[in-house]
Amino acid sequence: MKRNLVGVAITLLVSIIMLVACSSDKGPAELAIKAAEEAVNASKAEAAKYVPEELKSLEGALTAVKDKFANKDYKAAITEAQALTGKAKDLLGAANAKKEELTKSWTDLSEGLPKMVGAIQSRVDILSKSKKLPANLTAEKFTEAKSGLAAAQEEWGKAMESFKAGNIADAVSAANSVKGKAVSAMETLGMPVPAGAKS
Amino acid sequence: MADDQGKGSGGSDPYDATQYHEVVKGDTLWKIAERYYGDGSLYKNIFEANQDILKDPNKIKIGQKLRIP
Repeated sequence: MKRNLVGVAITLLVSIIMLVACSSDKGPAELAIKAAEEAVNASKAEAAKYVPEELKSLEGALTAVKDKFANKDYKAAITEAQALTGKAKDLLGAANAKKEELTKSWTDLSEGLPKMVGAIQSRVDILSKSKKLPANLTAEKFTEAKSGLAAAQEEWGKAMESFKAGNIADAVSAANSVKGKAVSAMETLGMPVPAGAKS
Repeated sequence: MADDQGKGSGGSDPYDATQYHEVVKGDTLWKIAERYYGDGSLYKNIFEANQDILKDPNKIKIGQKLRIP
């Protein structure tokens, strides 16, 4: 009987120690999750624009950490939340690098494409007055080039709108589409494609 | 006739879309316009685009690089 009581007492004591140890991690876990959440929120605006997939993954990881906290797995929650804080800072760095890269692309394209489109427009205007098209250009091909020019001009308008709205990624994507259409029209018209548009 | 396709004026602008034609023996603005536009009567477009180097549409020199608008 006495042995049983000692056994129960030991089991109870161990349980209390484990409970206290476990509970003592709850506060630090809460703080770690709060810090991770703040770091994710701080990078969210830029990351959503420039590295959306990576942001989605990080938000998923944050949810997983919160789940661990809810399941009282505080130690794991602390470790993972601390790692998330670092990853959130890295994500902001990656977003800023992508923004810089896209801004440079936009600067190059926005300086170069109007020259290309202007040159095509000038050639189309002159050819439209021609009584006979040059030997390497059929009427069908000329019509195709004019349609390509119109599409490029429309797409350029969209690129400018995206840029003005602060969406550089969409602006660069639309500008690259303009470049493709302009290159195609120039080739059809027998015009030289500028080196910068070949890449 | 010879053209100098794809080269910009100084070669430093990667998006320079200017097309050039280098004048060779036998060239006239009419013939050049025929080649690029299919219609010699459009030679004035070339003359106007090259007024910095051409004073008379009937006088072009071998080796001159003409802009083709």
